[in-house]
Amino acid sequence: MTALLEIDHLSVNYGAIQAVRDLSLRVEEGEVVTLIGANGAGKTTTLRAVSRLLRPREGSVRFAGRDVTRAAPDEVVRLGIAQSPEGRQVLARQSVEDNLELGAYVRGDRAGVQDDIRRMYERFPRLGERRHQLAGTLSGGEQQMLAIARALMSRPKLLLLDEPSLGLAPIIVLEIFNIIRELNEQGVTILLVEQNAKLAMNSSHRTYVLEAGQVTFSGASAELVSDERVLKAYLGG
Amino acid sequence: MELTQFIQNVLNGVSIGSVYAIFALGYTLIFSILGIINFAHGAVFTLGAYFTYTLAVGQFGINGLLKNVDLFPNGSPLGSSVPGFVLALLIGSVLAGLVGVVIERLAFRPLRSRGADPLLALVSSLGVALVLVNLIQYLVGAEIYSFPADVYGNLKPALVLHVGEKLVVIRTVQIIIFVVSMIMLIILGYLISRTKIGKALRAVAENPGTSSLLGISVDRYVLYTFFLSGFLGGLAGTLVATSFGIAGPYFGVTYGLKGLAVIVLGGLGSIPGAVVGGIVIGLAEAFVPAEYSAYKEAVAFALLFVILLVRPQGLLGRALVQKV
Repeated sequence: MTALLEIDHLSVNYGAIQAVRDLSLRVEEGEVVTLIGANGAGKTTTLRAVSRLLRPREGSVRFAGRDVTRAAPDEVVRLGIAQSPEGRQVLARQSVEDNLELGAYVRGDRAGVQDDIRRMYERFPRLGERRHQLAGTLSGGEQQMLAIARALMSRPKLLLLDEPSLGLAPIIVLEIFNIIRELNEQGVTILLVEQNAKLAMNSSHRTYVLEAGQVTFSGASAELVSDERVLKAYLGG
Repeated sequence: MELTQFIQNVLNGVSIGSVYAIFALGYTLIFSILGIINFAHGAVFTLGAYFTYTLAVGQFGINGLLKNVDLFPNGSPLGSSVPGFVLALLIGSVLAGLVGVVIERLAFRPLRSRGADPLLALVSSLGVALVLVNLIQYLVGAEIYSFPADVYGNLKPALVLHVGEKLVVIRTVQIIIFVVSMIMLIILGYLISRTKIGKALRAVAENPGTSSLLGISVDRYVLYTFFLSGFLGGLAGTLVATSFGIAGPYFGVTYGLKGLAVIVLGGLGSIPGAVVGGIVIGLAEAFVPAEYSAYKEAVAFALLFVILLVRPQGLLGRALVQKV
C-alpha cells in the first residue's frame, strides 16, 4: 500500500494561537479516514492546511509522493485534492449547474465535464431537478450534496469532507453517509472530518482522534469505536 | 418644454450616459471583487485618452518633457485612417488596462497580502491617482489636446432629424460613443454571465476562499479584473476626448467623481446598477438648461443625494450587502 496523503509533524498557527501542533497522519489509497475531536481540536485547520488555504508553520504535506507543503491552492486541486468545506459554501448566487461547472474549473475537457455533470444528476437526482435554480435557494441537505458533487467534478484522487452532516436532519445525514460509502466503493479516497463520531467511525477504515491540535489516539475505526477512552470522551459514554 | 427639446435632451443624455456607464463599470468590477473603491480610476481614464492621442496624433505642445516632440513626422500611421484610429483606440485602452494591472501589483496587492484595512487601499489608490496626474503634467504639460475632426472618417458632423417644424441635431460622435459603449456592454455582459472566466470571476467575488478550493487562482482573477477595469476606463476616456478634447491632466477628475456618483446611485457592486446609474446621470445632466450648464455636476450629485435618501442601497443595489 502506498500512502496517498502523508502529513508529517504539521504545525499551523492562527496568529499567536497554535491550532495544530506536530500532527502526523497518513491516508492510504482507497481508504476512508476519519478525524474526530471536539470543537477547536484542529480538524478543520488540518484540512485547510492540506488545501493550502492556510500556511503551515512547520512540517510537511506530501501527496502521491510529492511535496505540496508550499504549493499554490489551485495547484493542489490540479494534483487531485478536492475539498467540500465546512458549512458547504456553495456559490449561492450562481446556478446549481454553474456550481458544478466551476467544480471542474481545473479541467480542460469540456465534453468530459458535461458527461460528469450528467452523471452527477443521475447520482443526485434532486440536483438535476434544480439545475437552473440558484444554489442559495437549495435546502441544507441539497447544498451538502451540491458541495460534494462539486468537489467530485475535479475528478479528485482524494476527497476532503469537512463536517458533511452539520446542521442536517438525521435522515439526510444517513443519506450523506451512504453516498460517502458508495464513493469509496467506486475508488475515491476520503479524509473525513466529523462531529458525529460514531457514524463517522462506522463508515471509515481508520480514525484519528484529535485533542488541542494533536493526535491523541489513532487506529482501526472498528477497534476505536469500542475503546473506552474514546467512548468516554467523544461518544457520550 | 417642447417635444423637440425633450427628444434632443434624451439623445444627448443617453449618449453621454452610456459612456458614464462603461466608465463606472470599472469601479464596479473592482468593488465587487475586493470591496474597495479604486480612486485611481479617474486617472486611468485620463491616461487612456493620452495613450490614444499619442498613438493617433503623436504631437505635443510647448510644455513638459515631450515639448514640441513630433513622434510621427509624416503623420501617425495609425491616425491617418479610420481602421488606424480604431487600432489606436484599442491599443490605448489595452495600455490603460495594463496600467490597471500595475496599480493592482503596486498599490493594492502588497496591502492585501498583509491583511491591511481596506481604508488604506483607498488612500493608496488616491496616491496613485496623484502620481499619474503629475506624471502626465511632467511629460506633456497641462495643455488641451484635441483629436482631429476626422478621426472617425469623413462622416457628416451631425445627423439632423426633422420633427414637425423643428430640428433635432445629433452629433455623429455622440452616435459613435453610444454604439461603442453598447457594444462594450454587450461583450462584457456575455463575458461575465456566459463564459468560464466570467463564472469564475463571479465566484471569486462571492467567495474567494471557496474559489481557491475549486482551483481558481484568486490573485490571477484580481489581475484580470484590474485589466478589464483599466480597459473600460481608458476606452471611456478616449471616447469622451474625441467629443470634447482632452482638457489637461486633470481631465479625469470630474469624470472620476461622476463615476462614483453613478455606482452609488445604481447600487454598489451591481453591474446593471452601473448601467442604469450612468444613463440616469447622463439624462439628468442633459436636462439642465443651457444657461445653467455650469451647474451640471451639481445636478448629478443633488440627484444622488435625493435618491439615496429614498433608497440608501441605490437603485439596483441589494438591500443587505453580503460580503463573505
